Amino acid sequence: MNVSGPLFNLLVFLGVLVLAYVLFRPTKGWFWLVANSVKTNHKVITEDVLKQLYTLENQGEHILKKEVVNSLHYNDGTLERVIATMEENGLVEELGQGEIRLTALGRDYALKIVRVHRLWEKYLAEKTGFDKTEWHARAEKMEHQLSHEETNVLATELGNPIYDPHGDPIPSHSGEYADIDGAHLNDLPVDTVGKIVHIEDEPEVYYRQILAENIHIGSVIRVVENTDRRVLFYAEGEEFILAPEVARNLTIEVLETQEELEELAVRLSALGTGEKAEILGISKECRGDSRRRLLDLGFVKGTPIQIDLVSPLQNPKAYLVKGTTIALRDDQAAKILIKKM
Amino acid sequence: MKDSVEDIIELSNDLRWKMGGDFHDHITESIYADASEIVEATVTTDSRKGRNAVDVTIDRIVTSRKWGFPIMFLVLGVVLWLTIIGANYPSGLLAELLLDSIHPALKSGAASLHFPWWLSGFLIDGVYLALAWVIAVMLPPMAIFFPLFTLLEDFGYLPRVAFNLDNLFKKAGAHGKQALTMSMGFGCNAAGVVATRIIDSPRERLIAIITNNFSLCNGRWPTQILIATIFVGAVVPKALSGTAAVLSVIGIAVLGMAFMFTSSWLLSKTVLKGQVSTFNLELPPYRPPRFWKTLYTSLIDRTLIVLWRAIVFAAPAGAVIWLISNIMIGDHSIAYWMINSLDGFGWLIGLNGVILVAYIVAIPANEIVIPTVLMLTVLVTGMSGGEGAGVMFELDSANATGEILKAGGWTLLTAVNLMLFSLLHNPCSTTIYTIYRETKSAKWTAVATLMPLIMGFVVTFLVAQVWRLF
Amino acid sequence: MEKNVVSSACEVCPQYNPDGLKKLGVNVENTDYVVALAGNPNTGKSTVFNALTGLRQHTGNWPGKTVTRAEGAFGYNDKTYKLVDLPGTYSLLSTSEDEEVARNFILFGKPDVTVIVVDAGRLERNLNLVLQILEITDKAVLCLNLMDEAKRNHVEVNERALAKRLGVPVVAASARFNKGIPELIDVISQVATGKIACKPHRITNVPKHINDAVKKLSDQIKQRFPNVPNSRWIAFRLLDGDQRIIEALREGEFEL
Repeated sequence: MNVSGPLFNLLVFLGVLVLAYVLFRPTKGWFWLVANSVKTNHKVITEDVLKQLYTLENQGEHILKKEVVNSLHYNDGTLERVIATMEENGLVEELGQGEIRLTALGRDYALKIVRVHRLWEKYLAEKTGFDKTEWHARAEKMEHQLSHEETNVLATELGNPIYDPHGDPIPSHSGEYADIDGAHLNDLPVDTVGKIVHIEDEPEVYYRQILAENIHIGSVIRVVENTDRRVLFYAEGEEFILAPEVARNLTIEVLETQEELEELAVRLSALGTGEKAEILGISKECRGDSRRRLLDLGFVKGTPIQIDLVSPLQNPKAYLVKGTTIALRDDQAAKILIKKM
Repeated sequence: MKDSVEDIIELSNDLRWKMGGDFHDHITESIYADASEIVEATVTTDSRKGRNAVDVTIDRIVTSRKWGFPIMFLVLGVVLWLTIIGANYPSGLLAELLLDSIHPALKSGAASLHFPWWLSGFLIDGVYLALAWVIAVMLPPMAIFFPLFTLLEDFGYLPRVAFNLDNLFKKAGAHGKQALTMSMGFGCNAAGVVATRIIDSPRERLIAIITNNFSLCNGRWPTQILIATIFVGAVVPKALSGTAAVLSVIGIAVLGMAFMFTSSWLLSKTVLKGQVSTFNLELPPYRPPRFWKTLYTSLIDRTLIVLWRAIVFAAPAGAVIWLISNIMIGDHSIAYWMINSLDGFGWLIGLNGVILVAYIVAIPANEIVIPTVLMLTVLVTGMSGGEGAGVMFELDSANATGEILKAGGWTLLTAVNLMLFSLLHNPCSTTIYTIYRETKSAKWTAVATLMPLIMGFVVTFLVAQVWRLF
Repeated sequence: MEKNVVSSACEVCPQYNPDGLKKLGVNVENTDYVVALAGNPNTGKSTVFNALTGLRQHTGNWPGKTVTRAEGAFGYNDKTYKLVDLPGTYSLLSTSEDEEVARNFILFGKPDVTVIVVDAGRLERNLNLVLQILEITDKAVLCLNLMDEAKRNHVEVNERALAKRLGVPVVAASARFNKGIPELIDVISQVATGKIACKPHRITNVPKHINDAVKKLSDQIKQRFPNVPNSRWIAFRLLDGDQRIIEALREGEFEL
């Protein structure tokens, strides 16, 4: 065997590393790019167009074909051919002056894709450990892959959920879906009390910011300040500040009866040593197995709770619940709501 | 009839849709409401919901900022020290009995019964010797380590360790209980893998299983200590040689922990990120362990089961070692050809063909790596010494062992890389089998087997190249 | 039929026959009755198992020790009993593998008696599992274990009142010190042979809108499977979307 010098060996090794990085780095590696572009076929483009039209129409806009072509990042020729085929198949119709809209058939189809997308996000939230920031991208892929039957099986398995984890209604197999009543947070006057019913996950920059702030769906909030610079509100004993364009992505259902009780709700993570409290419930943000396990362990409404031990590294903390000492990490404790006594 | 079943299911789906999503919450709340009514009516307590005062005091101390960590390291240190020191004497005794007395006796017995040479070689030098070695090296430390560990477990101290360390493990995407499965791995990786059952979150459990091999197990400590004494001890002044050897072994063990944390983090961010992750840790009340019962059950449950599995795997390994050293192809044995063909790659990663062959045939048990290395070195260098082809041996003095190894072309680099490779290579076959039984997945078993091996190749390769640069 | 409905443990366990007990270890073939052993983790369930069968399964002070199902047997007064030690769980409503195993055995294995081992010092938390099991089966015995520890912590349980509330016999025990085991064996045998009839507690505090749905569904189940004793529990599970139960309905596992 021909053995070369150490420097040469190291360089070869480095070369292999660089090559592997270029090929396989997450999402932008050449391997993934090639693999993805092969998958993007006629069906995928059709469905993307349908979904785009559906969203735009729901916002009550007139849609020009040109806009659709521009908003979806495919090269022009393909997209126009696809739209032409869609017209032949009766999914969209042309209204003249470049304006197009969905036919009843097209709307139906679009609704099915939306259903798969939202169900899959629900699935990811309940049954897997993927991070929230990954749900959307994964659902975007999956919505083109599940058949009608598979979708129904998935739906029963998840218990025919009504809302996806962001609070969007999931259309049922017959196409009905619940409404979300509510207003954007940045439109609410000061002192409004309401509940966060929806968190929009696009654009991603805003969504990440909302997640970073630890804002939870289902939280009851009170608006404290609302200017064109910032929106300030209280929720679960903490203060949050968002830029108006970010606040727009939170939908708030306004509560008529000011629930005094909920106003006192704070997060368990805010409980101090020696303080006593009573559990009010677990936030909607805590899902799937984690939620069930906490309930089973006795973290249910009305249970007295106090800190028993603090680990030398401050996290986790052990709580005394129903005579048992159970340790929870701080991020879990932030999802349990309590009332201090 | 089928239809009415479908009707029921249809009705349930319909009702669910109308009820909204909080069914599970409501049911659990109702059950607990009932429970608290029942308890109200039937239970009286002196101090409401208070915990036992003794428990509270112990807990305050063992989880305090000041004493929590020192106590933990002290306990782990004492357990390891008792294991290593305490196992020396019975190990020596067993080795004397099984290797120095029974082995020659069996040989002469076979001779007087006129066994053909290959039969007595195969059975006594191959199968028996491997078994004897595994038992002599493995049994005493495990018989000390596991009962000690079990006593701590029964007392209730171990959950507190998980509680203290969880924050570190959380940063690596793992569960605090992994501290315990890792410690268990210092005794035996297979037992460590079984112990991961206490982790009830799927993702964290897989992480603990896959990274358990980075805990230097009982079978590998003697190798580390021997090589460190011969080679690392020799490069420093004589007065410091003992200390230097010990420090280098501890360094390897700590490096193992670093690898454990790093690969835990990598796994949790990549291949395992889709697995469900939950956390909860109950701190049970302290209970005085019942000493004899614990001793008995830990011997039966852990020590003997693990030993038995090791024996099942070691016997064929002994046979293979004997066979490859005695079956000739052309002028040389199979072992010779294997060593020759692996020498080039071995050199590239700062090892040699002998070591690689020894690790291939010693997959079943790390205990027999050094005896196999010695035997193969004597075989290929053609020097005098040893017991003959296919007969593993060890020498009484580290010096004499060093002489043989140096004659086989070993340098300090070979020694350092062997120590690294001993830490970073595939788990032994007992552990691989256990991983498969626990995960029931060929995929995760393959990941757990290949990941450390590849790391071992990369690390030894890099060390060798950098070493040779200077 | 002469049957006494339980009101207390002592009423029904007078005549323990110490010569009648034979610990049969692992000889589990062809027993007369099957007894399941359920309970929260870390309640000394395995200790009870060992005390009854004479086996020595490892028991640790650490939740989650017994993961696989262990089996053993004992004989008492000419009858033989197979004892199945189920994995320790906090609940039967969630979806973990352990809970699946425990739940499926109690529901489909149809044990003649289910012994529920609870920590006397932490009764409230343990009742979560107990009340769920009582929804599934009506032949159960509650073993109030770790009485010594509870006493040390000044917790006192009124066994009579508890038995009355739960509608199943309650036996106090300290399995570590072999206390209460003879009484437990006797009560198990009486429940198995039908000398004691249980009338288990059913969950009451269910919110109205859910209770209505459950009622509607369970009525329909009862109509279709008149002999199923736990239609309400099946309704609970269906409303929670339990795939295994849907499957069992379709496969006809509730027929009979």
